[in-house]
Amino acid sequence: MVLKSFFATKRARKETRDGFISILPWIIGFIIFFFLPVLKSVYYSFTEWSFMIDPVWIGLDNYRYMFTDDPLFYKALSVTFNYVLLSLPIKLFLGVMLALLLNWKIRGMNLYRTLFYIPAVVSGVSVALMWMSLLQPDTGIVNTLLSYIGIQGPGWFWDPKWALISVASLSVWRVGGSAVIYLAGLQNISPQLYEASEIDGAGKIRQFWKITLPLLTPTLLFQLIIEMIGSFKVFTEAFVITGGGPLKATYFYLLYFYEEAFQNSNTGYASALVVVLVIIIMTFTAILRYTSKHWVYYES
Amino acid sequence: MKRIVFMVVCVLLVLLPVSIFAGAQEEVSEEVVTLNWWTINSEDYTAEVQTALAREFEKEHPNIKVEVTVLPSSGFGQKMNTALGAGEGGPDLAFFWTTAWYPEALDLTPYIERDNFDTSMYIESFWKTRAVAGDKVVGLPLGVGASLVMYNKDIFDAKGVPYPENDWTVYDYLELVQELENKDVKAWGGDAPRKPFRALWFNFDAQPYSDDSMTVDGYINGEGMVEAYTWLWDLVNTGAVPSTSDLDTLSSEGTGPVDLFLAGRLAMATLNQGHMLTAIDSGVRFGVVPEPRVPGNDRYCNAWSLTSSIWKGTEHPDEAWEFLKYWVGPEGQRFIMNKGHFFPSISSVLAEYEGADKDYVQGFYEVLNMPQVGEWLGTHLSAGTVARAMQDVWDKVILNMVDRDAIKSELEAMMPAAQKALDESRERLGN
Repeated sequence: MVLKSFFATKRARKETRDGFISILPWIIGFIIFFFLPVLKSVYYSFTEWSFMIDPVWIGLDNYRYMFTDDPLFYKALSVTFNYVLLSLPIKLFLGVMLALLLNWKIRGMNLYRTLFYIPAVVSGVSVALMWMSLLQPDTGIVNTLLSYIGIQGPGWFWDPKWALISVASLSVWRVGGSAVIYLAGLQNISPQLYEASEIDGAGKIRQFWKITLPLLTPTLLFQLIIEMIGSFKVFTEAFVITGGGPLKATYFYLLYFYEEAFQNSNTGYASALVVVLVIIIMTFTAILRYTSKHWVYYES
Repeated sequence: MKRIVFMVVCVLLVLLPVSIFAGAQEEVSEEVVTLNWWTINSEDYTAEVQTALAREFEKEHPNIKVEVTVLPSSGFGQKMNTALGAGEGGPDLAFFWTTAWYPEALDLTPYIERDNFDTSMYIESFWKTRAVAGDKVVGLPLGVGASLVMYNKDIFDAKGVPYPENDWTVYDYLELVQELENKDVKAWGGDAPRKPFRALWFNFDAQPYSDDSMTVDGYINGEGMVEAYTWLWDLVNTGAVPSTSDLDTLSSEGTGPVDLFLAGRLAMATLNQGHMLTAIDSGVRFGVVPEPRVPGNDRYCNAWSLTSSIWKGTEHPDEAWEFLKYWVGPEGQRFIMNKGHFFPSISSVLAEYEGADKDYVQGFYEVLNMPQVGEWLGTHLSAGTVARAMQDVWDKVILNMVDRDAIKSELEAMMPAAQKALDESRERLGN
């Protein structure tokens, strides 16, 4: 039906054609630099291949080994799932809270917004190194401050019980980036709705639950999907700080992929790992999209 | 019509000499071959020195131009992987520093034979480990480096402890770290190894699997392995060495605890020849000894040299060989040595080193003469995979999460995973 309307009249046909011509450079770029490499990766996942030796077709062997015989696959997967479960709520909750604060109409707010956004553009490696120093168990500032109030701080990145929590808490550092998106969502909410509710006697908390949150759900859905994908792709922190340890407590999926592809010359198997990750991410995205009709409120 | 013909003839007459001149120019420019040389900047051979070396070579070979591309060390591997894997866009010459790239290196055997190139000039152990792979010569070894233990003479003197000697043992090391530790100034007696299967482990006769790459049984749970991990347990439990978190946060990335050593917070540190020269510049009084031996066992060293190779996809193999001979031959290595922190891999040039008579240089030479762990590791490519499979034991010992008496059973618990990793890797890599 929609397609039909594109070609209904001569003018529509011309506009459609012009539209396609306009986006052709992007489509060509997408096919060459994204779609074909993805297809090639899928092909490599069915091969035994290292960078230097031509790929040999082995059918489903990589997948068979992965699901039936590879303990590291399950380890990396479970660590990554735990990280997603741990970091996603932190990022969503703090992002929304920060956006609410940044939505206040007070003097110098633009400066605060800029300050909170700055960490989002700092290199991941620098942030990781900085947090390593801050959380150093003996000399780091965090444990030093804790010691002043009589608490012996944990080993953070160097303690198997705390390592994953420490890496997850690093995501707080970048929460300013998502807060800006939530802020845009908050500013799209019509002020008339608040005015009308005030006349009806609604307080701030009631306004938040009945107006702000429902109307923010489209932004929440978008951020949830983006943050979930980002969490599944966590790599830099573990690569720089923990190397996947201690006791594989931070052995993330992409770290395993990296080791297989670039250290173990097992590129075909690494391709299969990535294909599985893409399927997992697509599945969760589809679930979120499907369930969104029950909890996302579109004003229109 | 006549007029048109006349004009055409005139134009042709004008164009002819121009085209002849252009053709001649092209002929001249065709004679100059441009070589792409990918390299890195390091303390031992800086970008400036390497560029100067290329210019020196060009003076003697006006028909060869060397285009130097200096890449960051961290990105060098990925760029090489991509280019060599794609089979196009690779450099004519580069460091082939991982064995995975060797199949893509040009076999130098015919060139060596053709030119009667004397390969015996290179220190034998480096030639064996860094130039030859199977029956192929994959490159020439540039420079030499090795891990060694540097000790701070001031700290030893202050404590009245005699300096370690070349013949010292791992058990001497345990005693020394405790004697030298100084909690008042937050100084440790020495450092702890960061991973297994380097010289110390081989000194314990602890290799991850059999020489024929078939089994981990008797190796992972072997006597030497248990002894090595027990020694590590003892060392960690002295409390006189920095913890992993200390080393992670206080060491410069990838260089070992050189900063701690230079700051006088480590009485002994396992560093390398580059750090030795840095310490001289910093005015630290130090001595050098090989990594400690284990009584009754052979003694090894971690040593390296950069395999400098020609990519087999080069369009100019003859010119690339000419440059390689110059760069990694006596002339090139002498040039780099005289301009930087560099120890050549050619014995006769190494003997010309300015401070060859200094005791620390002699200590370094002592290390170079030992058998290298690279001989085993370079021909047993599954070692990394097996080490990963048994990483938990290392972590538990470092974190003090295992009893001393339980080390053997912990190692035995790792055997199924390690054997599986070995089998999978051997099938793929061949050893």
